Amino acid sequence: MTALATSSIPRRKAWLRRQPLAPWLYLAPALVLLVIWIYGPLAYAFWLSFHEWNMLPTAPRRYVGLLNYERLIRLPDMKAALWNTGIYLIGLLPLTVILPVAIAILTNELSGRWRDLYRALIFVPLIIAPVAAAAVWRWMLNVDFGIVNMALRGMGLSAVDFLKDGDTAIWTIIWITGWKLIGFSTLVISASLSNINPALIEAARMDGGTEWQITRRIRLPLLSPTIFLLVLLTILLGAQWSFAYIHVLTQGGPLGSTSNVYYLLWQFGFGSLAAGWASAAGMLLFVGFGVVAAGLIWLMNRASFHDN
Amino acid sequence: MTTDAKPRRPGDWTAHAVMIPLAFISVFPVWWMLVTSLRPLAEIYSPLPWPAAMTLENYSYATGVIPVWTMLANTMIFSIISTALQLLTAVLAAYGFARWRFFGDRVLFALVAMTWLVPFQVVMIPNYVLIAQMGLVDTLTALVLPNMASAFAILLLVQAMRSFPVEVIDAAHMDGASHWRILWRILVPNLRAPLAALSILLFISAWNEYFWPLLLTRSEDKTVIQIGIQMFLTEEGSQWGPLMAVSTLACLPVLVIYLVLQRQVIDSFVKAGLR
Repeated sequence: MTALATSSIPRRKAWLRRQPLAPWLYLAPALVLLVIWIYGPLAYAFWLSFHEWNMLPTAPRRYVGLLNYERLIRLPDMKAALWNTGIYLIGLLPLTVILPVAIAILTNELSGRWRDLYRALIFVPLIIAPVAAAAVWRWMLNVDFGIVNMALRGMGLSAVDFLKDGDTAIWTIIWITGWKLIGFSTLVISASLSNINPALIEAARMDGGTEWQITRRIRLPLLSPTIFLLVLLTILLGAQWSFAYIHVLTQGGPLGSTSNVYYLLWQFGFGSLAAGWASAAGMLLFVGFGVVAAGLIWLMNRASFHDN
Repeated sequence: MTTDAKPRRPGDWTAHAVMIPLAFISVFPVWWMLVTSLRPLAEIYSPLPWPAAMTLENYSYATGVIPVWTMLANTMIFSIISTALQLLTAVLAAYGFARWRFFGDRVLFALVAMTWLVPFQVVMIPNYVLIAQMGLVDTLTALVLPNMASAFAILLLVQAMRSFPVEVIDAAHMDGASHWRILWRILVPNLRAPLAALSILLFISAWNEYFWPLLLTRSEDKTVIQIGIQMFLTEEGSQWGPLMAVSTLACLPVLVIYLVLQRQVIDSFVKAGLR
């Protein structure tokens, strides 16, 4: 195989070089689409962020310089939304990373039919449409007749209006967001766990290592790239995942307690039709998350050099 | 399967103790949605875990209030078309990336990979303006247009094509096969498994698409089922039975796919997550 491959390289290069345009023809449809619908709009949003415009096609787009950005930074809504975005991320990490790691390790030994059955069941929330998930949770958490509050009352506790109480609403949204992801994260970690060379674990057992030592010294370090990936996904996309539930269930309320930066952006854009503001907020967000992502990836490359 | 006959290890009990509650929490809401949707109005607040008397009256009520069947058909059309187009553009682009080294290929690849950093909320206004300029607001075409290329699909297929043995392709080339022919006669048939997995993933995410339709929707008969659920949700003093009926209908096609292709669905999502 290898001999064949090396001998064919010069020839291959020759016939590949003959058509300098060919790769572009294959790439064109996808690239044109990505430019039209993602990078073009990104540039347009950047341009809009220095303008004032109410999104009516006939209305003028007035240049206002950095005014949109200045206003945004001073806006009290923005501070609250940023704070909430942080709470969403911190609240989601146990559900998308910590619990799944624990569950995957505890259930590692499970095999055969049971394993398949559990896998099939815990995966279900991920494929349910977010709006349908929002609908059923709203029904189950209804203060008067929802099954959860019925159960609470049955246990002698008082009912909680989960989505309308300013203290519980954000945690409820976090729970629903996490509910959709917990099984998926567990399966991702299980898959990565089963890639660990069993000889390593065997060897550690022979040397008298306890389960906890094996987990801490072997499993966790070898899982670290996967764990890092899940942390990265949660930080970058967590606020976006919650967005659908905020929109459908609380509209950012009560009193802004569940709003996050994405929801604020949505409200600027399509609630108040302030295209300039929304674009400025969008650009800040894009740059902010870009910096965070770059930082995390840099950290990941530095931190994980474990050999399986 | 002989595992059940083997003596149980103590670790198994811990595993069951962890997995049973998790599985219950995962599935119960879906079960509750189905059960509520089948209950007659008089029983809607019943805490029984199954419907004592089953009826389809919630379904017939819901289909009378909003055009559920049209919405489901629209969602199906939208999901199938956008999945097919995303597959097509991704197969072509992946071949371009996997087969050639050319000036700027790394930069282009990075640009494709970075699209997932651009949040939908940042580009939604320009996208909406563009659709409005084309005069396509409130059409199914407008739903499909921004969903014709998927960066994720491209990345996944580039990986699959790069791991395909080069010798086979070179041999075909020696026999005088063109790139076009190699792609469709050799690569695509051999990549059936990843392509199938990818199309399941693309279909499910298209089916569950919500915000873009929400921006574009003006009339009930030109939108998708997710918006149908939302219409029932926004009414205060919710009618839980019909709401659960619409939600069940909206989940049904995806759940059916899942029942049939369960292993493939899980594998495709998990592998996608691992990348």
